[in-house]
Amino acid sequence: MQHDDVIWSVLNGQFCSYKQQKAKTQIFCSNEYNLTGLCDRRSCPLSNSQYATVREEKGILYLYMKVVERSHYPKKQWEKVKLHENYIRALKQINEHLIYWPRFVRHKCKQRLTKLTQYIIRTRRLMLKKTGKQELVPIKKKAERRERRHEEKAFVAANIDRAIENELLERLKKGTYGDTYTFPVNAISMDEEDEEAETDEEEEEEEEEEDEQESEEEMEYVEDFNESDAEDIEDMGDDDDDEEIIKALPLTKKRSLELEYEPAVEIPVRGAERAGIIYCYATRDSADDEWHVDKLEFKATNQPYSYIFYDRALRRRLSPPETTTK
Amino acid sequence: MAASRPLVSVYDEKGQSTGRSVVLPAVFRAPIRTDIVSFVHDQMRRNKRQAHAVSSKAGEQTSAESWGTGRAVARIPRVRGGGTHRSGQGAFGNMCRGGRMYAPLKVWRKWHRKINLKQRRYALVSAIAASGVPSLVLARGTIETVPEIPLVVSDKFQDLKKTKEAVAVLRKVGAWSDILKVYASKHTRAGKGKMRNRRTVMKRGPVIIYDKDNGVKNAFRNIPGVSLLNVERLNLLRLAPGGHLGRFLIWTESAFKKLDALYGTWSKKSQLKVDFNLPQPMMTNSDLGRLLKAFEIQSVLRAPIKRQARRKVKKNPLKNIGLMSRLNPYAGVQKRQTLLTQLKGRRTGKTIESKVAARKARTHASVKARRLSSVNLVKITKKQNAVATKKATTTKSS
Repeated sequence: MQHDDVIWSVLNGQFCSYKQQKAKTQIFCSNEYNLTGLCDRRSCPLSNSQYATVREEKGILYLYMKVVERSHYPKKQWEKVKLHENYIRALKQINEHLIYWPRFVRHKCKQRLTKLTQYIIRTRRLMLKKTGKQELVPIKKKAERRERRHEEKAFVAANIDRAIENELLERLKKGTYGDTYTFPVNAISMDEEDEEAETDEEEEEEEEEEDEQESEEEMEYVEDFNESDAEDIEDMGDDDDDEEIIKALPLTKKRSLELEYEPAVEIPVRGAERAGIIYCYATRDSADDEWHVDKLEFKATNQPYSYIFYDRALRRRLSPPETTTK
Repeated sequence: MAASRPLVSVYDEKGQSTGRSVVLPAVFRAPIRTDIVSFVHDQMRRNKRQAHAVSSKAGEQTSAESWGTGRAVARIPRVRGGGTHRSGQGAFGNMCRGGRMYAPLKVWRKWHRKINLKQRRYALVSAIAASGVPSLVLARGTIETVPEIPLVVSDKFQDLKKTKEAVAVLRKVGAWSDILKVYASKHTRAGKGKMRNRRTVMKRGPVIIYDKDNGVKNAFRNIPGVSLLNVERLNLLRLAPGGHLGRFLIWTESAFKKLDALYGTWSKKSQLKVDFNLPQPMMTNSDLGRLLKAFEIQSVLRAPIKRQARRKVKKNPLKNIGLMSRLNPYAGVQKRQTLLTQLKGRRTGKTIESKVAARKARTHASVKARRLSSVNLVKITKKQNAVATKKATTTKSS
């Protein structure tokens, strides 16, 4: 049954989710319809079946009223009346609507109206200033701390140094620096050690060439070929994906920005049966030219032989490539 | 216990009110007794406990003995023997490292509680009544999007089979915001429960109370926060979680209708429970404010004492002129006369005081004269006279 006193004794004594006791002297009520903001018998919107408030929404003031008759319909509980813009007229309106209501409610509503009008005036004035348009955002210590740590980790993971290196090397290869940087190029084969900077395209190019040449090579080097080896090569052909993944692995323990020249680029490769390294020899005529692959050699890790499966000297114009047996 | 009982309208799965309405069962008018609910809830909560204890041997598996006095060590029992760290260390006491704890936990602790049937039923009835008061439900932390409290839904609810449908229905009926709150409240438990399979904690949402389970349970059980209860087996721990009244309940129509039969009205006993009728409230009308202003009561009261007479402090008339003149009006006159004559006398030298003063002066002079030699006799007397007259003149002038 809707007995206000009973309700109040329950809320006051037991539990009310709107009750805020942050200060020792004063208990507040966080219910948005509360007239005074305090938690006490007369101000509690829940334990007064006949209640009214004035609330502000986007600069417009509304009078909210609640009566016993509607107490069982929470959705429709509050009757909303728009108050006049003019302060004195609004006061009259309140008097009209709350004519036989308890004095306390009427009085507090009017007080609230006054305060809110003042607040609105102030806000309007503030909006005209620069400070009004600024939105103050609180600093959340915990969140800040967390974000900072995430940033640090992301920074480390990003490997900016490496990215810069790669970029610079690429540019060098492309020749954007022209003759500004000249490095002694060996006539036979000069490659940069640990060239991770090899682009996917180049890699794929090489792979394609590999594949294309395989069929021909098979014909050429019949003696060298064992069936197992054939499988190796085919496997290698399939290992493009692996290779690219492996490419990303730190080959770069001996990284340095200064380019050292050794005969081959070593590409570690892993397949179903065995693993090994592909040695790539490439030359280019000048800094502007692209790298031309001269020789591709494969050596399995635990085996004595290395196989040259591509030699530029033996290259021919390609007709539709013969499919390799798998 | 009002004469009439209001009608509660039934809502369908679309959140619209069907034409039907049900009379509010008398349970909802039962007295709301937070103290009983709190007590019973507390007792009931103990009944799900599992026994736990510390091993009875823990800390006692040494043959330690106290070294007694005279060895410059504390007198707790110490471990015998030698050769390990352990030897000579304190044992047995709750203060010792590796000793038994204070009051080792025993399995035969009383884990469960018996609660009187009447109390249990009273608490339940209070909880149901509280759920029908919108303010209490709102205060506990529910929503304002519900069309009506108590919320009664058509029996189609009981036939729901899919959770998707259940969710849609909850949305239409205005209960979904409560469940969103539940989602928002999911967090990791604080404490060791984390590693004891009680990792997440969340708020409690609405309860669906049904009469016949044609799939409701399965439809709703996966929605977080939702509890499902059969009308015939209502559980206080679900209706007043945490001992706090006012959980949001959603009744199906047949469940709602069964309440009268289950709990009785005051005029009729309960049909489904043996020998039970609703508890009588202490006051039939508990609106104290209204009561005190009512004519029936006011007419019988005496007038209020607005000003109470307090103990008076006794004042002394001899010192307090006001009091004196109240007692003896002539006293004022007398006093005035004396004052005036005194003033007059001071100027003329005829008052008693001035006469006394003059006498004093004379005797003083004679004493002084005796002390001094006869040579200065004349001079002194003259001086004295001069002083006396001076005195007179000064008083005159003042």
